[in-house]
Amino acid sequence: MTVLILTNEEDVTADMVVVHLNAAGVPVVRLDPADLTGDVALSGEYAHGTFHGHLSSGGRLVTLSGLRSVWVRRPGGAAARAAAPSPWLAEESGQALYGMLRASDLRWMNHPDAARRARYKPWQLRLAQRCGLPVPATLITTFPQAAREFAARHPDLVVKPVSGAHPQDPPRAVPTSRVAPDADFSAVAFGPTLLQRRVVKRADIRLTAVGGELLAARKPAGADAEVDVRFARSDSPWRPVEVEARVAEGVHAYLRRAGLAYGAFDFAEDTDGTWWFLECNQSGQFGFVEVDTGQPIARSIAEWLATPVPGRPAPSGDTDATMV
Amino acid sequence: MQPFALNYARPAAELEIAAVYVYDSGLQLNVLRDGRIAASDHALLRELGTTTSTAGSKTHFDD
Repeated sequence: MTVLILTNEEDVTADMVVVHLNAAGVPVVRLDPADLTGDVALSGEYAHGTFHGHLSSGGRLVTLSGLRSVWVRRPGGAAARAAAPSPWLAEESGQALYGMLRASDLRWMNHPDAARRARYKPWQLRLAQRCGLPVPATLITTFPQAAREFAARHPDLVVKPVSGAHPQDPPRAVPTSRVAPDADFSAVAFGPTLLQRRVVKRADIRLTAVGGELLAARKPAGADAEVDVRFARSDSPWRPVEVEARVAEGVHAYLRRAGLAYGAFDFAEDTDGTWWFLECNQSGQFGFVEVDTGQPIARSIAEWLATPVPGRPAPSGDTDATMV
Repeated sequence: MQPFALNYARPAAELEIAAVYVYDSGLQLNVLRDGRIAASDHALLRELGTTTSTAGSKTHFDD
């Protein structure tokens, strides 16, 4: 039975998993929904109380009943590269593809419903609290006065995007940044603003959860003033680190409640060694951690994807992807 | 009228990787010019930063 990977062609991180699936002899169909209705085609028929669907891409044809799992990695928008793209065609194509996949009995990493909800950072913070993970004092507000009062209680603050998205016109990044002590919070009224007590950290933690497996890595904080590890200059590589039982318990609870099979958790380790929850990216990158630490994250993902669907009949020869 | 958080915005860095490896639809993998699989060259991946958590992606914000 076949593993379906939805991602773009340039996604070399996905390649790391494909390599392991190939080595294990697990059939793979990799496609980008952006290539509907060009290189990617689909068909599904509902008749006599049954459903039979097919996907094809790059000369490979697979029946939907022959899929064991779907990995939603970095897919493009449906039909984004069609000959005549349009919002209508994108909606039609997305509904057809994801609707038929949803109708199939598959294991998802991650299910679109769980993924969509898990992207809400305000929701993440509350779930982390409920799961017993320490969360720095945080305020999300459009009230300038609320921001001023929060800053009075927590003089050392950072600001970060609520959504994690970055403005594109022109392309800009909005890293987690320290708020100046004399900041004027009037502009809080012009957009929801996420303010958070700055954790005086001695290290960043990236904990990658694959199914029930937790692989954590630690990177000592750099000497520069940069708060956001993605922008910090550091010669220190990521190194594997043990996960304390209490943190592991919280992370497992988070994944269970969120319905996630995969999650990349960011923590800030303070000077007491406490890991403060910052966020969980449901499709977070992992290649850079594996490259530094040698942790078998890609192999773990491949093994999870290759696990048969519970209750499904044993694979037979006609359910694998075939070349057409 | 600019939202507070945008006071801290900076130009996004875009990765230029197209010339280093190319997708092989037969293999379903990206390959280097010498035919090697790009994902197997961890030193190259580290150098390129293409597997790295970066801010400013146009299409994805699950870093």
